[in-house]
Amino acid sequence: MSFLRIHAQPGRTAIWTLSWSLFAVGLILYFYAAQQRHRENPDDRVMPTIAQMVRGFSDAALKPAAEEEVQAASGSSLLARFRTSMLWTDTLASGRRFLISVALLFPAVLLGLHMAMFPVIGAFFLRFILFFDKIVALSLLPILFIAFGIDELSKIMLIVIGVTPTIILDTFNLTKSVPREQIVKGFTLGASDFSITYRIVFKQIWPRVLNSIRLNLKAVMLFLFAGEMIASTDGLAYRIALLRRHMGMDTIIPYVLWVALLLFLVDFAMNKLNHKLHPWFQER
Amino acid sequence: MLDTAIQIDNVHVDYPIAGQAARSVLDGISLQIESGEFVAIVGETGCGKSTLLRLILGEEKPTRGRLLVNGCERWQPDRHCGYVPQKYSLFPDKTVLDNVTFGPEVTAFGAWSGLRWIRPLQMRRFREEALRYLRHTGLDESDARKYPYQLSGGMQQRVAIAQALIMKPPILLMDEAFSALDPATRTGMQRLIKKLWRESGATVVFVTHNTREAVCLGTRVIALAKNGDENRGSSIALDLGVPDLDFDSEEIDIGKLVREVDRATVRERPLVYN
Repeated sequence: MSFLRIHAQPGRTAIWTLSWSLFAVGLILYFYAAQQRHRENPDDRVMPTIAQMVRGFSDAALKPAAEEEVQAASGSSLLARFRTSMLWTDTLASGRRFLISVALLFPAVLLGLHMAMFPVIGAFFLRFILFFDKIVALSLLPILFIAFGIDELSKIMLIVIGVTPTIILDTFNLTKSVPREQIVKGFTLGASDFSITYRIVFKQIWPRVLNSIRLNLKAVMLFLFAGEMIASTDGLAYRIALLRRHMGMDTIIPYVLWVALLLFLVDFAMNKLNHKLHPWFQER
Repeated sequence: MLDTAIQIDNVHVDYPIAGQAARSVLDGISLQIESGEFVAIVGETGCGKSTLLRLILGEEKPTRGRLLVNGCERWQPDRHCGYVPQKYSLFPDKTVLDNVTFGPEVTAFGAWSGLRWIRPLQMRRFREEALRYLRHTGLDESDARKYPYQLSGGMQQRVAIAQALIMKPPILLMDEAFSALDPATRTGMQRLIKKLWRESGATVVFVTHNTREAVCLGTRVIALAKNGDENRGSSIALDLGVPDLDFDSEEIDIGKLVREVDRATVRERPLVYN
């Protein structure tokens, strides 16, 4: 059993095999169960077979979303058909909301930084943010719909309210964790408060803040999906909620996997970019 | 006649503890450090050496008493005092060269130092000067592009010294700057700082818990002793003038001096040697 010891050193092939094995087991179990159900009931819609899911996904990814585009799309290339498809229009709608929400996290980062650097700003905001952080964002959903209507604003506000306090407090703690020696050193080198805040502290915490945002991407998606499922006319979560009414599991499952894949790619790209831009940053 | 660089008059530092009497860390310290001196402050762990250094830096305020640096009270650290701490002395996100040019840049460009590329000539001058300081501290140009995590502890402290000295501070404060180094590197760094001190003529205040290091480096050794009373802080136990020693000097029995300073740091009552 030496391979289970702390000092075990698995080779590259072993690591590759181990890291993919759970995916393989999951797929095998799913398709086995799906086959069994379909053998008992050929009309089963709870666990679609692989062929049904491929058909459902290709319909979503290659058939036009709107009736008027059917004529235009017929006979055109795969890419052109994808760009008029339900999947693409839903991805664009959710992606736009997602990007706006992530961009709105930047002021939260700046607030957290200033709260930690300047005691007066910290004293002014900290208690309020700590309290605000405890409010369950989803419980505010009815209030947001009443206050901002059921348009884009309420959905974006939900994400901002849900994730912003975490990002503020995370940035606050990251800033506080910068050793005091660094700040003193900055002063002794003639730096002003502004230079210390932005050229010493912010530059040091920025890769960690990006990591924190990365880890909160799932929360951003969670609030986005909650908003879209309740009040929207487009978006990935809207489509999943719509398909649920028709028991469209052959499209819901590929949609869920598509969302996971997109989030994984965003996370992967952010991680790679973070290390490319900050070669000194050693943490993963 | 020498000017007074640091004047400390009857300084007390007490830390309040909730529900208890305040704990005194420094109990009536008085001290005068002249310009150009190399003063080593030595004492046991927890006797207030680093607190005394933070007072001189302006990072902390005395509870009572007066502390003047170059005739002025200190409100916060500034570029009149260079600082080399034991750890975290370099900015991890900057290369060695950027660490050393940081001081001149922020001094010259102020808040707009991020836009340094719009003044390439001045930046080139800063880089050349930084390289000169790096060579002076025993590093070569190939190290200039490295990040701090790529350097050994000794090399990092060399960069930290270059980073502080490029600002030409009249006073250089070093807080256990060589404590984390191995003995061979430590000896090399001690020789280096002594050489740089002789060349620059700056006032150096060097805090260490290593008595031998204090005696070898300092032209004066200030030994802080813990007071017998738990609630009272350190008082100066020994203010000993030490000749400017060479490390290999045989004129003075360094071991005897070390023993004398060590004895003083465990005495309960202040002793002042003049």
